[in-house]
Amino acid sequence: MDYILMGIGAVFGGPELFALGGIGIPAAPAMLFLGLLTGIAVGATPGLAGPMAMAVSLPILISIFGVRPDALLPVFGFLIGIMKGATVGGAVPAVLFNIPGTPDAFMTTLDGYPMTRRGMPKRALKIAHLSSVSGDTLSDIALFVCAPFLAVLVERFLDLPEKTALILLSLTFIAAVMGSSVGKGLIAIGLGMLAAMVATGQDFHPRLALGVDALSHGFPMVSAVLGILILGEIFWTLDDHWRGRVSRDATEATDAGPDGLRKGDVRRILPHILRSSLIGTVIGALPGVGSTLAATLGYTWGRRVHAKRKTPEQAAFGEGAPEGIAATEAANSAVSGANLIPVLSLGIPGNAAAVFLILAADSIGGFNPGPGVFTFSHPQINPELVVAFGIFTLMALGNLLNWTIGGVFMRAMGIMSRVPIRYLLPVVLLVTLTAIYVQDPRLGALWTAFGFGVLGYLFRCLRIPHLPFVIAFILAGSLENAARQAFSATGGDPFFLFSSWVSTAFMLMAIATVFLAGRAPGERRG
Amino acid sequence: MPRLTADLVLGLAALALALAALLFWVPADTGSGIVERIRGQYRIGDAMGPAVAFGILILAGIVLAIEAWLKPASGPGPSGLGSAQLGFLLLLFVIFMISLLAMRWTGPALASLLTEGGYRSLRASLPWKYLGYVTGGTILVGSLIALAERRISVRAFVIGFFAALLLAMFYDLPFRDFLLPPNGDL
Repeated sequence: MDYILMGIGAVFGGPELFALGGIGIPAAPAMLFLGLLTGIAVGATPGLAGPMAMAVSLPILISIFGVRPDALLPVFGFLIGIMKGATVGGAVPAVLFNIPGTPDAFMTTLDGYPMTRRGMPKRALKIAHLSSVSGDTLSDIALFVCAPFLAVLVERFLDLPEKTALILLSLTFIAAVMGSSVGKGLIAIGLGMLAAMVATGQDFHPRLALGVDALSHGFPMVSAVLGILILGEIFWTLDDHWRGRVSRDATEATDAGPDGLRKGDVRRILPHILRSSLIGTVIGALPGVGSTLAATLGYTWGRRVHAKRKTPEQAAFGEGAPEGIAATEAANSAVSGANLIPVLSLGIPGNAAAVFLILAADSIGGFNPGPGVFTFSHPQINPELVVAFGIFTLMALGNLLNWTIGGVFMRAMGIMSRVPIRYLLPVVLLVTLTAIYVQDPRLGALWTAFGFGVLGYLFRCLRIPHLPFVIAFILAGSLENAARQAFSATGGDPFFLFSSWVSTAFMLMAIATVFLAGRAPGERRG
Repeated sequence: MPRLTADLVLGLAALALALAALLFWVPADTGSGIVERIRGQYRIGDAMGPAVAFGILILAGIVLAIEAWLKPASGPGPSGLGSAQLGFLLLLFVIFMISLLAMRWTGPALASLLTEGGYRSLRASLPWKYLGYVTGGTILVGSLIALAERRISVRAFVIGFFAALLLAMFYDLPFRDFLLPPNGDL
């Protein structure tokens, strides 16, 4: 309880951003608010995504707040705001213009756009907002409850061999569930680990550097991650335009009369929200399983239930049913909070947003996501635990802001959907390159990012999922360190990964995952 | 017999390259072996990590080849890498190279023509510190818009110019410790 209060205190009693009428405005909630507005605007712009905004804003945030421990919560506040805002904003182009800005928004277009065409855009957006924020809130509650318990269990029962086996299991699981084949997922994992190992290690010789001086310091994480995630996506989308695979004109919105939530709407969509939130939370807690799968499952399940229970005057799924929007939006939004469960409890990022939270923590220092965070020490205070509860406070506050002003701002952001993506993406590329340069002021860093961008583009061409590459790149160092320590701690036992029943079980699960895992549908672009 | 699909080729290529790297590259380019003995204690050497990574790639190649062999028509859609993609990458590379060259050399070239002190003493002052960034940024953004539209237009480069100028001011005016490209290299 003391730590919860300290976390809340750290958020509201931290450094002040500015004074208003003589009253200091604490930086963390103010940054959360700004991040939320940014995230909604970004989510409402087709072709942009939360991770892009996180990538661009991270160096600016670090420049503003520095690399002191009290910078953590304001920086996390902004990033969490973007994450939450983008989740809500993503429904705007889907509902208003039939443009699925992200793969998981495709299901929202199926019922959202027909509602818009029938003159109910505001009602559709309100249902999308209500469902999205409900799903996000329920998922956050699951995070607050599960992450500390999971972390305590990990710390209590898992020793070094088990932790090594757990990272291997996570990587194989991510390889198995993302993308169109297990083999391609494993290629991404292998290449990600390989890239992380260039010029690292304990020996004086910079390994795998081929004697090239430019490689003798390894690949900077920022250039590699932003290259694969952001530049690769920009190149891929530009290629779509270059080859004329994308319609250049956005669909015009129907001029709608007054509309809004109707009596009974909430009661109608509530079961769909609860069911899809549960689906999204369970899916989101598994690292690497994307929101597209959650949206697809939530929608499919909801359609089955709706077909049995609907009255003749109610629209069916796919024809403008509010329940369809609710089932999709609650499911894909519930993924975002639950995705942080493996990050905070195990230190394993499950999605791109989590990758940027880890990058922020890594850049600032003083907070290492993982089971060690949730060490309830007395009488000494564990500052990482205070930050963790500060993050929970920010997430709860973000939900409150989303409930209150998020909907209004979301509906106002319809205009962003009209910005032509062919103009926007080159500008985003320049912003990203500038963001990389201000963190690593060498033109060589831009070439590195370009190289990883080309790799990201090739991954997309060959349908190799790119996120496993990034996750493996981030986790490779932890995996190698854990393995080194476990090997030494077991006295050089070559079978240290099978030294206890827990680690043996993890390894058997990892092997079984590779050979038995079924394919997740719908993840066309990793 | 299943036909030679792109995935099968990718799997076999991953298998062959990873095997070759494991046998030749890793032993030649790591400072210590997979396991080494130091003062009677065994410890994991620097070759272990790359060996595991290439081992995963070998496994990936086998799994992908089997997947492609058993169900060549599976997957969400056609995948592959052809001349169209390579042509696009070549265009991207040329645009990127010209933009970065313009970014790197515009300021120093103009400074050597118009001043005696050279660029280094001017790189913190206006308009010099924006010259390279805005020129390179304009070329980059304008060319990529032209690429997406498949036609070169003044409008694309005007958008590029204003985008680069606004970004230069956005990063430079409030954040004095940020260095715009290429000023960190010069």
